[in-house]
Amino acid sequence: MTTIPFTEPLGTAGSCAFSVAGTTENAQDIESLAGAAPAGPARIADRVRRSGQVAQVRPADATRPTAQVRVGARPTGLDVRVGGGVGSSPQRPDGRLKVSGEFAFSSDLWADDMLWGATLRSPYPRAKLTGLDLTAAVALPGVYAVLTAQDVPGRRVYGLEHADQPVLAGTEIRYQGEPIAIVAADHPETARRAASLIKADYEVLAPVTDPDAALLPGSDRVHADRPNLLRHVPIRKGDPAATAPVVVTGEYQVGMQDQAFLGPESGLAVPAEDGGVDLYIATQWLHVDQQQVAACLGLPQEKVRLTLAGVGGAFGAREDLSMQVHACLLALRTGRPVKMVYGREESFFGHVHRHPARLRYEHGADRDGRLVYVKASIVLDGGAYASSTGAVVANAATLGIGPYDVPNVVMDAYGLYTNNPPCGAMRGFGAVQACFAYESQMDRLAAAVGLDPVEVRLRNALTTGDRMPTGQLVEGPAPVAELLRLVRERPQAPAGADFPPGGTANTTRGEGVVRGVGYAIGIKNVCFSEGFDDFATARVRLELVGGRPAALVHTAAAEVGQGLVTVQAQIVRTELGVEQVTIAPADTSVGSAGSSSASRQTYMTGGAVRAACLALRARLAARLTALGRAPSTSDNDKKGPFLSAEEWVGALEAGALEETVEWRHRPTHALDPETGQGDAHVQYAFAAHRATVDVDVELGLVKVVEIATAQDVGKAVNPQAVAGQIQGGTAQGLGLALMEEIQVVDGMVRNPSFTDYLLPTIMDMPPMRLDVLELADPHSPYGLRGVGEPPTISSTPAVVAAIRAATGAALTRVPVRPEHIVGA
Amino acid sequence: MERGEKGTTQNMRSISYSRVADVATAIATVTADPDAAYLAGGTTKVDMLRIYAEPSQRLVDINDLPINHIELQPDGAVRLGALARMNDVAMSPIVAQRYPLLAEALVLGASAQLRNMASMGGNMLQRTRCSYFRDHEAACNKRVPGSGCSALTGVNRGHAVLGTSEHCIAAHPSDAAVALSALDAVIHVQNRDGHHAYAIDDFFLAPEDTPEREHPLQHGDLITAIEIPPLPMARDSLYLKVRDRESYEFALVSVALALRVEGGAVAEVRMALGGVATKPWRARRAEHALLGRPATHEHFLHAAREETADAVPRSMNGFKIELARRTMVRALETVTARGGTP
Repeated sequence: MTTIPFTEPLGTAGSCAFSVAGTTENAQDIESLAGAAPAGPARIADRVRRSGQVAQVRPADATRPTAQVRVGARPTGLDVRVGGGVGSSPQRPDGRLKVSGEFAFSSDLWADDMLWGATLRSPYPRAKLTGLDLTAAVALPGVYAVLTAQDVPGRRVYGLEHADQPVLAGTEIRYQGEPIAIVAADHPETARRAASLIKADYEVLAPVTDPDAALLPGSDRVHADRPNLLRHVPIRKGDPAATAPVVVTGEYQVGMQDQAFLGPESGLAVPAEDGGVDLYIATQWLHVDQQQVAACLGLPQEKVRLTLAGVGGAFGAREDLSMQVHACLLALRTGRPVKMVYGREESFFGHVHRHPARLRYEHGADRDGRLVYVKASIVLDGGAYASSTGAVVANAATLGIGPYDVPNVVMDAYGLYTNNPPCGAMRGFGAVQACFAYESQMDRLAAAVGLDPVEVRLRNALTTGDRMPTGQLVEGPAPVAELLRLVRERPQAPAGADFPPGGTANTTRGEGVVRGVGYAIGIKNVCFSEGFDDFATARVRLELVGGRPAALVHTAAAEVGQGLVTVQAQIVRTELGVEQVTIAPADTSVGSAGSSSASRQTYMTGGAVRAACLALRARLAARLTALGRAPSTSDNDKKGPFLSAEEWVGALEAGALEETVEWRHRPTHALDPETGQGDAHVQYAFAAHRATVDVDVELGLVKVVEIATAQDVGKAVNPQAVAGQIQGGTAQGLGLALMEEIQVVDGMVRNPSFTDYLLPTIMDMPPMRLDVLELADPHSPYGLRGVGEPPTISSTPAVVAAIRAATGAALTRVPVRPEHIVGA
Repeated sequence: MERGEKGTTQNMRSISYSRVADVATAIATVTADPDAAYLAGGTTKVDMLRIYAEPSQRLVDINDLPINHIELQPDGAVRLGALARMNDVAMSPIVAQRYPLLAEALVLGASAQLRNMASMGGNMLQRTRCSYFRDHEAACNKRVPGSGCSALTGVNRGHAVLGTSEHCIAAHPSDAAVALSALDAVIHVQNRDGHHAYAIDDFFLAPEDTPEREHPLQHGDLITAIEIPPLPMARDSLYLKVRDRESYEFALVSVALALRVEGGAVAEVRMALGGVATKPWRARRAEHALLGRPATHEHFLHAAREETADAVPRSMNGFKIELARRTMVRALETVTARGGTP
């Protein structure tokens, strides 16, 4: 747990800044529909309700103190007339349940008479499956079904961008842990035992594991029918032969990070009377799951209905399917509800990871440190299946020189198939790997020209009106320089005020401890890019409940812990002035909301909810006008009226009003396949970090003493949630800098446990100082900018830069280990 | 992953459970049944059962046995009942004042939750974190004698450089046992035939040709107590642990040290290493090199080099040799700077 100490707001002229203080006194009354935990097995509906998806959120008590927030000019001129609206931090409806352990996660789902599923997985990363004998498994008492690839009735492969991943492996095994067969039994232990009784014969093959080698013409193919090169994104800007007097080069590596959500993959499939299936599932995107599951089951989409179950974290790892098709297959075959829950070890094999990367950079600059050119090659190991590698490659390429104005760019990013674990979406999505490399390069450049690391960044900082390497114009605020100045101007952490590295004050001495400070800034695209038809759907219903207006919001947007449910209610209160707002469970009976990824969901589903509210305001006004009762408080702006209690009754006593809106951001465009030119992105988001570390240079121990960060969020729709995203994202970046790595050798994962895969704990996170800018984006709802990913991106290079400053070690690979510091 | 395809029974793994209230019954019950095993805190045992690393068993819960006391003996020794919990020992003033290195090793050795459950006796029988030992697809001589050692050429960053053989390089995981090794603790064992006492250095076995044998206990042997002889200089002792994460992580290198400096020279020293060896590693070469020599950086470094002279690095763990030297030197300098024994 990090702390946000009380700090003086550090506003800067011309900007709207606030500092977040660590108070929870802005707590507000929440009346959740959740009751006490029911005795015995709860019905699904109860469980879903208890997941906090259905909650009434009462507005703030105006007499209570709120967080120490200073906002300058409100960029969107909001006139909030009831509490708990946009810009406040009402208590989350799921917060108390989660803290008290009552929240029902997907692994808590239960149906009477349900069976348990289990999965047989390949122990080898590359093999031919030559035989499969199910006899013993089928014969085991308590087993209801044993299914293999032959039993998949529809399309046998699935995938987010390319359908290349088998539901169950046929003859080709392409990664360790690939599912081969699934079992349903009346007890989870019986199901697991039956899976272990399946006799699988393999012809083991040498795996393709080195992405550089996989690119070579003679390499074995991971997929026989296509080359190992999954996607190449070139970017060409300016003169490819540009030269410069100062040249710095570097080769960098990023290890395979895991999203490490705490709630493992799990869900419950319930067969329906119409021959379809209802799936209760923890996911990031219900509709893309629905499309893939329906195709694999050979069912029309309307017969596969999904409802979001309690999600225990996502970070990209729930964007691909895991057990969705498997549970539905077993449920349809047995006619019984089937629950599947992965254990921690299986979870490491059940989802994609962050792409490991090898990045080669050459920066050319003049003697004043102004960049003349950047040449870069980025190789991302996509593992056995495509997942979202294509989009990750595009992000790495288009954002790969960072938030800098560079006239000449030669960038090539490649995504490869190998027999390593499949990689796909993870918070930061291609921008993380590139940022570690380009920020390391900026520090090298600073050293080469004798400039302070912040100064060299300021001299090259991207700003409004500049063009990205793709040719895209940077519109709206791009406060790169301001963010850097904010973290630089934060008072330095006092020396020696903390425990020394290693955490035990009684066992180490201070002589070998050296302080280092490092800076980094990153850039991230928000929402989906490259011409993808990115939209979100929201349905808002207004009716009288007990003589007072009440709003019901229905979307398919996944609350994955980020606070989206809270934000939706805030938007309704601001736009309609209705205090009582209920958020219905997310499911596929309403249109798609798109994914809870790409930092997009407040922008997109928030935008859709807002648009539905605006449509309702127009209809309210029309009704009142038709009744001859002109709205009393019309303020002649586009948001329409807020109504008196009497007017609400008048407007709604004729019946409920409902609006469903499909909302889109402005269109994006494909990248030119030769030059990488094109307006591919919707919005850019920026964050900067300053990390302060103490390094015991003899023993290689690192203590991150403090992290200061500054981020432009456009509009802090929920300041407390913004602070939470910044702190959590920073922690995930610190983890990549210092300890998080899935060790893969010869295609085999060696540390699939939380004992051996190290995550930062409460002991490892330092106090954080936050500056949050609110510079409105004219194109987005409330001017907001996606918040979730930027903090993860620049925190890693800032921590590593600080260690370099303390040690002088080159540190070209993350995570940094003690041996890299002691140089032994 | 589905596990247990190899080497495990294909029937339902039934595990029976019973409780016993006295030592004699416990020993009789377990001795009579070759499939039986003692269950104390369960923090290792349950893990091992879950990953099929141990065969089907009858678990005999010994938590009611009256062997959980922490007692100061008339001769100044401290006797830790085998069922004393790690946390109770760490927090005991008897231990914390006389053997701070042990209290520190215990606190650094596990999370509070584990310390509250795990017993001292069980800690002596903790199994290695070697990932190949816990992976049924991998060759491992400790798990399946004669199957080979995958770690020799695999992921061996965490593995041992001292006391290894060509059959096993798994690092011993315990912190507490390292401190106890420096303290010349004695492990008391009871069985049907009577009582045995093992010097701690004889209790932990290097792998040599039989890595599956980690200690001399026979089936039915019950650890009843750990006795620590008096050692006045240990009142200013130290446990220094170097690891990848500040909390809840096994040692890359650890040093347990008690040191008495008199007139600028080392008058008395006990040192043991963790994280770098296949057993809690008493640093006798270093002790020998230090004794009677000036307490200076040069001599500390010389002693550290002596201790690691025969270390065998593997593909990924060579850094541990240098890190062990530096950690030894740091520990020696830290205790020297404090002024040695009061």
